[in-house]
Amino acid sequence: MADYPMLKVESLTVKFGNLAAVNHVSFEVEKGEIVGLIGPNGAGKTTCFNAITGLISPHSGNVFFEGQKIVGVLPHVICKMGMSRTFQVIRAFKDMTIREAIRVGAYNRTAEKFVDSKVNEILEFTGLKNQAEKKCADLGLATLRRIELARALATDPKMLLLDETGAGLNASELDEFMTLLHKINTDRGVTLCVVEHIMQMVMGICQRIFVLDSGELIASGTPEEIGSNNRVIEAYLGKREGL
Amino acid sequence: MRYQLTPKTIFLTIGLLLALILPLLFGKNQYTTLLATNVLLYATLGTAWNIIGGMGGQFDLSAGAYLGIGSFVVGTLLIRFGFSPWITMFLGALIAVGLSLMVGLPLFRFKVREVWYALASAALVEVLRVLFIMWEEVGGATERFLPMYYDDFSKFTHMRFSSYVPYYYILLAMLIFAYLVNVRIRKTRLGYSLLALSEEEDAAAVLGVNVRLSKIKALMTYAFIVGLVGGVDVCIKGNLHASSFNAVQSTEVAILGIVGGIGITHGPLLAALFMVSIRELLRAQLGGGMEGLYMVIYAVVLILIAIFRPDGIAGILESIYNRIKPKISEENNGRLSDA
Amino acid sequence: MENLAQNIINGLMMGGIYALIVLGLSIIFGVMNVVNFAHGDFVMLSMYGTFLVATWLNWDAIATPLITFPVMFLVGVITYYILIQPTLREKYVMQIAVTVGLQYLFRALTQIAFKASPRALNFSIIQGNIEIGGLTILSSRLISFAVSLLVIFAVYIFLSKSWAGKAIRAASDDLDVASLVGVNYHRTYAITFGLGTGLTAVAGGLLMTFQQVGPLMGMSFGLLSWVVLAMAGLGSTSGVLISGLIVGVAESLAIAYWDPRARLLVVYMLFILVLWIKPRGLFGRK
Repeated sequence: MADYPMLKVESLTVKFGNLAAVNHVSFEVEKGEIVGLIGPNGAGKTTCFNAITGLISPHSGNVFFEGQKIVGVLPHVICKMGMSRTFQVIRAFKDMTIREAIRVGAYNRTAEKFVDSKVNEILEFTGLKNQAEKKCADLGLATLRRIELARALATDPKMLLLDETGAGLNASELDEFMTLLHKINTDRGVTLCVVEHIMQMVMGICQRIFVLDSGELIASGTPEEIGSNNRVIEAYLGKREGL
Repeated sequence: MRYQLTPKTIFLTIGLLLALILPLLFGKNQYTTLLATNVLLYATLGTAWNIIGGMGGQFDLSAGAYLGIGSFVVGTLLIRFGFSPWITMFLGALIAVGLSLMVGLPLFRFKVREVWYALASAALVEVLRVLFIMWEEVGGATERFLPMYYDDFSKFTHMRFSSYVPYYYILLAMLIFAYLVNVRIRKTRLGYSLLALSEEEDAAAVLGVNVRLSKIKALMTYAFIVGLVGGVDVCIKGNLHASSFNAVQSTEVAILGIVGGIGITHGPLLAALFMVSIRELLRAQLGGGMEGLYMVIYAVVLILIAIFRPDGIAGILESIYNRIKPKISEENNGRLSDA
Repeated sequence: MENLAQNIINGLMMGGIYALIVLGLSIIFGVMNVVNFAHGDFVMLSMYGTFLVATWLNWDAIATPLITFPVMFLVGVITYYILIQPTLREKYVMQIAVTVGLQYLFRALTQIAFKASPRALNFSIIQGNIEIGGLTILSSRLISFAVSLLVIFAVYIFLSKSWAGKAIRAASDDLDVASLVGVNYHRTYAITFGLGTGLTAVAGGLLMTFQQVGPLMGMSFGLLSWVVLAMAGLGSTSGVLISGLIVGVAESLAIAYWDPRARLLVVYMLFILVLWIKPRGLFGRK
């Protein structure tokens, strides 16, 4: 059981037409880690996530979750196995209340009888309890991101892929979020893989970082190593955002 | 289940009681009874549609297919062998379910775009119509008449009543059934899965929703109910013809589901009342020649609702109610403080 | 043997026109993921339009697109702004609802205006027969076929070479990203919709040289269009053409060798077959 890494991506390649959006990318995530996946815009990070979670088919390569091959497996089955994710562009269930949205995820591993209490537990844990009956359509960005996280958490995951959950948040919202992520990792033992642009967040919570540029993995290591890696600095300076 | 005394519950209960005694109010007037029966028929179809269309987010246009199948199974078995519709209507419903699988299984696969389902469902009705016209033994170009019965017992066992009143109650029961099915689904996993996937299919999938299975379950449930209604419908009409596979009617069912307020369970009933009233009004004022006009109105209403008020008639009524409510409690408070 | 060849040729010629009809639909679908359920009825409207123009101005049907194309283009643009754009942000069901509503609106209005009897044009310069190798072909059909091919080719050139065409193709590629970037893609969409609708005017004019029009024809054109679209998939003009030809031939053979009433049946079976086997269409690139 402990022999396998939680997630193993092996030479993953995703092509759109002739363009390789993800080009032979390989990395591993161990159980209990928080890793970051960073890179300039268009580096292929979200595409990577999409391929890993079964939303698109890779051209070649393999993905193993707890030693089991998940390429070609449908997203809901992957979720049942223990991996879920959030989306870069918020995909809210607009007509649902927060409670209802979380309930959707809760059904993944919780039987009908216990779903109510599971939802309450998640609401409590993510600090959404007071707003539970509000409709998702009317809420602000920070809350929406929290809901995305709560939904995914309700599926009882062993691992979560988080796609730019910090984007658009102000400093205090960001702080709260980072604390929440930490809690998810330490209190609930969920392995996290975080795609982020916000360096403060990445450096703050990630134990290891992988850097993508133009679909290729150009560096991996601890935050300190990455921060001083010339190739990484180049990749970022060459694009619009800086460090 | 907890029962809450919401305004909606009150309205529904009053509505139900009214519905139960309505035929008595009509007395001997068969025309109004038929009208009311039609309202119930369409309301049932619309409420069933809500499962696949409102909750599942699929624009289904195949109501006519399952309605027709139900009609043909019941009608043919009655004509040929005198089998009781009370039993055969369930057979018809099951066959309708089987048919729905033929469409649903290929079309609800992952990543097949939802528009293909809408198109395929529309085409299904037309195809069945042509098939049954060509199939001389069972269908054919001319109508087949259902047998008549002359003693009360036979009339009952063969569901061939001479008054519309019994049909009214049968359909009322079916409407209630369809309504309860809706409520049940909504409260359980299937309902949440459907509502989620109709909004954001990918998000639903990564949260563990088996999108394909959920849609298929919704479709099968819908097909079953519509198939049942088809079995009753043929007994009401008294004749069997391939025109039961009616594309326009299928569209009307979808329109009801949307105009009522998408996803709102009591929406189709309100829409059916509204639409049938309009149709009758037009017929009374302008005569039979302006049949086309009611379709124009239906179409315009559909477009307006889709663009401006997706919560439909149910939503509009609720807004009106919300606006009146404060005024009502204001008045009450005023009176209390006077006393 | 001659009979078979005759039927195949007839099928091919109709297929060319079907391809022309579907071309507009395919472009609209590719760019904004909207299938205009009323497309078949736009064809029907175009045919009525052709009838009116030809009768009032005493023009030949072939010349009518000079008027009907701009009119239908405008109709398309207006339809986009009034009906499509408002629903783009809503649930997909609503988008479909709106075009279904349009479909029935057109049908009902046409029924009221023209009553149930079909209309036809009496004369066209391209009427008559041509004898080729023992086969008799209506010259109207042959010329319509040729014109269809020309127009399809012209559209293909337009899409690949012209600036507007490239904008349309770019919008099609960026379907998912467009909402993120917030580019003013509405104008491109409107023009696309106009173009797709305008093309039906050409098809309508051609069809009126050898067919009659009734208010309910939209349904069968609609079904045929969808089947061709399903087969063609997205992003391939040649795919649309080949699929159109296949459907045309299949329909023709069904009418000749099975039962005239079965023409829709065969078409539908093709539709289901394609969706079972290749949900992305036989030729789609996405």
